[in-house]
Amino acid sequence: MKINYNIRFIFLAMIMVLVSGSILKVNAQEVKKSSVRIKADYVKTMNKEVTFKIKATSKVDNQNVDVTNIPIIVSNEYDDNEVELGSIITNMDGSGKFVIKDYNLIKPDSSGLYTVNFSFKGNDTFKRASKSVSYKDASIEAKIIVIDSVHYITATLKDTAKDSLLSEQLLNVQVQRLFRNLRIGEEFNSTDENGTIIVPIEEGIPGVDGNLTFEVVLLENDDYGTVKTLVTAPLGVPIVDQSTFDDRKMWSPRNKTPIFLLIFPNLVIFGMWAFIIYLFINLIKISKSKI
Amino acid sequence: MKNYDTLLEDLAPKKFGKRGTIWTLFLSVIVIAGLIAYIDQVIKGQVVTNMRDYALWGIYISNFVFFVATSFVGSVTVAILRLTNNNWRTPLVRIAEIISLAAIVMAGITIMIDMGRPDRLLNLFIYARLQSPITWDVIIVPTSIALSFLLLYFPLLPDLAILKKHYSKTKPKLSNWYGKLALNWTGSPAQKLIQEKSIKIIAILIIPVGIILQTIDAWLFSTTYRIGWDSTNMGAYFISGAFVAGVGALIAVVYVIRRVRKLENYISDYHFDKMGKFLGLACLTYLYFNINEYLLPIFTAPVEEDIHLNALVSGEYAFLFWFAQIVGLLLPLLIVLFKNGRKPFPMFVVGMMVVVGSWWKRYVIVTPTLLHPFLPIEGVPESWHHYFPSIHEWLITAATLAMCMLIITFLVRFLPVIPIQRTAEERDMLKNTKNTES
Repeated sequence: MKINYNIRFIFLAMIMVLVSGSILKVNAQEVKKSSVRIKADYVKTMNKEVTFKIKATSKVDNQNVDVTNIPIIVSNEYDDNEVELGSIITNMDGSGKFVIKDYNLIKPDSSGLYTVNFSFKGNDTFKRASKSVSYKDASIEAKIIVIDSVHYITATLKDTAKDSLLSEQLLNVQVQRLFRNLRIGEEFNSTDENGTIIVPIEEGIPGVDGNLTFEVVLLENDDYGTVKTLVTAPLGVPIVDQSTFDDRKMWSPRNKTPIFLLIFPNLVIFGMWAFIIYLFINLIKISKSKI
Repeated sequence: MKNYDTLLEDLAPKKFGKRGTIWTLFLSVIVIAGLIAYIDQVIKGQVVTNMRDYALWGIYISNFVFFVATSFVGSVTVAILRLTNNNWRTPLVRIAEIISLAAIVMAGITIMIDMGRPDRLLNLFIYARLQSPITWDVIIVPTSIALSFLLLYFPLLPDLAILKKHYSKTKPKLSNWYGKLALNWTGSPAQKLIQEKSIKIIAILIIPVGIILQTIDAWLFSTTYRIGWDSTNMGAYFISGAFVAGVGALIAVVYVIRRVRKLENYISDYHFDKMGKFLGLACLTYLYFNINEYLLPIFTAPVEEDIHLNALVSGEYAFLFWFAQIVGLLLPLLIVLFKNGRKPFPMFVVGMMVVVGSWWKRYVIVTPTLLHPFLPIEGVPESWHHYFPSIHEWLITAATLAMCMLIITFLVRFLPVIPIQRTAEERDMLKNTKNTES
């Protein structure tokens, strides 16, 4: 009998261990949080704004997924200070854009290095995460010049803090288009010892009202990030406006219905309903004419 | 006069028998189930359907197109046969008029079912753009309902007066109703003159209205720049398809009424033979437009249309496509080419094949195109790449079909399905009467 009791006891104990093990495992799964990876790209548009393009991803079940709807705090770190600049919430793609209109809001440290931190405090699903982006400030000055009746765009790249020209840096020159910008000039335009490039502008590029907007871009530089400047000039072939916005067309709003469509279908409609009303009147006539 | 009494007894409406009651109850149950599903759809919204961003028109619209097509029977059989003085039409026209009215009324209701916010129905009129085919549809459907009603009602007047007299002693209440509906019809020359003139106007008017209705229905699709719909053939294709669907429905309903009401003396093999030839003509016309619609694009189709055609001919929708083409068109055409195929029972089978084929044909016209947009379907759940109606959609659609049959059943129950006055006149049973219009 004693042996039987022992067997039962061992059996019960094993079941309890298994069950409690499972419960612990479930709880452990519940509390297991995923790590978040924050990526931030610095883009400076001269005389306009500084933008940080932020993306949050996570590895869940060995797959990279976008982390949506999480708040990311943006702060500026310099010397021993850290000043909060604001925050964004990631969209359905796990992305966000933090725009600073005033450059002076971000302060550099004593060495002229700007540091911006991006931090996520964590939630029930994801662990806390942070990312730091450091860059030096650069500027591009661009203008259009004419040499022998040929238009050129010339641009000079400068380190702002040191006020020194940056040579042997690659700059892209492109014309803004609707879907993808149009590159002009050589494939690689490297700045000379004066920090300058010069690129001829092709003729015949179409633009609204003949205006072309050129972009000179220092792209994803290790020290300076992305810096670009925009120059607009009337050097394009004007696009003839084919808009029918204010015309009476089949796709216009109802106050711009084509005249023929107002006349012809209404004639048909009123014509048909005139007959229908006449027929109903005939029914009344029948009911009143007994003889 | 004894013959006339027999005729009156044969053609006067009759109470439902046991089978009639069961049939009516069966249809009522389906209608109630559909009504419950529809109330749920209104409360929860169209999320209860399987229509999503891509298949934004589903079974409701294909069902609507089917009803519109079936209603064409009023224009083709009644108006055309009347204007061409084909006397064999007499025992068939009333049934055609009933089907036509029931179908167009249900078409109007079905389009409202497809609306996410039916409470905003009035906005279709208030904010109508005359450029939009939807607006044309909103105008033509009520016009068609009014004309179909008048097409049924004017020729009924003499018969309603006959029924008033017939039931005056046995069923005074019913007689009273018939009297009211007969609008004091006495058959006086003045009344006959107005009636004849009115019927002629309706017969002429309903042909362009029927053609406009079918064409607008086609243009709802072809004015959108979509593969499978963007076709100049669509208007004529829809008219010929409606011709087939309407005559098919007429044949099936005529057979059932003839059998249930024992009207073999009035609707004979001769009438089925004529209807068979009529259907044959309709099928040949429709076949021609089908060839135009599907065969030519096989040679000329750009990539997107090729994908769509492949889905129809050998892909996801191949079964339904070939079912509609073979069962709904080719087989009926083959059967009615033979004299024996135009006997009543084979014709009933043909009529049913045509009706079922026509319904699925509309489904094949509406759905696959929506699932093949020019821009690829991206960033949506996999299930949105396909469409199959939800339980709500099936229940509601079944209810609209049942409701249509219920309207037909009740009209057949209370109206003479074969014009009494005109049949009596054609058989010289009434003295001193000029032939009445029917």
